[in-house]
Amino acid sequence: MVKHVALEYMTKAYNQLLPISADVRREVRLSGVDNGVAYVITQHTTTGIMINEKLECLEDDILRQLGLLFPEDGEYYHARFLREYGAMAGNPTGHLKSMLSGNHCVLPILDGEIVCGRAQEIYLAEFDGPQERTISLVILGE
Amino acid sequence: MLIDAHVHPAFIEELNLGEEKYRRNAQEMGLYKTEAFGLRQWDADMAESGIDKLFLLPLALPESRGGALVTNCQIADLVRLRPGKFVGFASVDPHSAAAAEELEYAFAQLGLKGLKLHPSKQHFSPSDELLTPLYEICLRYDKPIIFHAGVSMEPGTLTKHSHPLEFEEVAFRYPKLRMCLAHFGWPWVREVCMLMLKYPNVYTDTAMLYFDDPRQFYHQCLEVDIGPGWIDRSLRHQIMFGSDDPRLEQRRMIKALRNMDMRESTRELIFGGNALEFIGEAL
Repeated sequence: MVKHVALEYMTKAYNQLLPISADVRREVRLSGVDNGVAYVITQHTTTGIMINEKLECLEDDILRQLGLLFPEDGEYYHARFLREYGAMAGNPTGHLKSMLSGNHCVLPILDGEIVCGRAQEIYLAEFDGPQERTISLVILGE
Repeated sequence: MLIDAHVHPAFIEELNLGEEKYRRNAQEMGLYKTEAFGLRQWDADMAESGIDKLFLLPLALPESRGGALVTNCQIADLVRLRPGKFVGFASVDPHSAAAAEELEYAFAQLGLKGLKLHPSKQHFSPSDELLTPLYEICLRYDKPIIFHAGVSMEPGTLTKHSHPLEFEEVAFRYPKLRMCLAHFGWPWVREVCMLMLKYPNVYTDTAMLYFDDPRQFYHQCLEVDIGPGWIDRSLRHQIMFGSDDPRLEQRRMIKALRNMDMRESTRELIFGGNALEFIGEAL
């Protein structure tokens, strides 16, 4: 069985780590799949999907260190008028942070539940918010 | 107080324009990949950037060109959805025989706060006699005009109609008519400074970003192309913060202006005080 679910979010900040494990867990339970895998995949190029420990200190460290790697006042090529959009390219830091965080995570499903380590939280990582975001959840199994 | 005096509502889902109209608006505005979005997006943007009010600017086009991007009635509807947050402007097609009547209705019945006109897109010269009735209505109701000025990246536009010098005769003939030459009239920022110096009824806004990032572009335009003290010393009461959203992003523009070297009192005027004065409301 393959089940596709779209998870919709409105992020609240320019940079934000939004925990989404509870939503993934709920959809997996509803899917009827007992054994398989779940793919959590972002549809965007200035977001990421991360797994990490849900502690405010770590959330702050992750966002702050990514900000130091890709400073807002850095020199970027992606700061120009894009004729095909009719708008300015203004979010190079979001694209670069997204590249580092990756677009997805994969989790096993066992006995109808996602298998997560005790400390693991799934995050939608927003790097160009606030925006409406869609996450694809693909559940494969039997 | 932080006011964004230059926002385009042509993609708001709550207007229920239909997919075809949103696509048409995207083409007309040259925002080819912009899709409809809900007011929740603006709510989030305003909360994140600390913005208190938005000036909503419609644009009237003749029916032969598809009609208004957003009508005056729709602007009034949006204002009702966010009272206190949205300031609605009207737009009329100067070539239409009904323009004056529509403008009177927008001010008297819809309660809209000013007029938005785009000489390059609407194909008129600001000093044309065609505009006289509209200017007189604005004076009678004490309502300001926001003119598109400088380059327009929208299709079907000739920049010559929006050159800042095209507006001097209007400022000269109507010294009590408050008028904003939007986008700092870029690339003619010095000409806009000249007009603001000469005519106290001329304002501008900061809705300009055509190269680089906001920090670099504002530095070039407002600290190199013009004297670094011109705004802070002489023009501080005539400049409003504007973003041109959704073409440009507010957040980085606000940050760039916050980091520019000017008196804090000047920054407060740019971020809100001047916009309130422009629409005739006190702080």
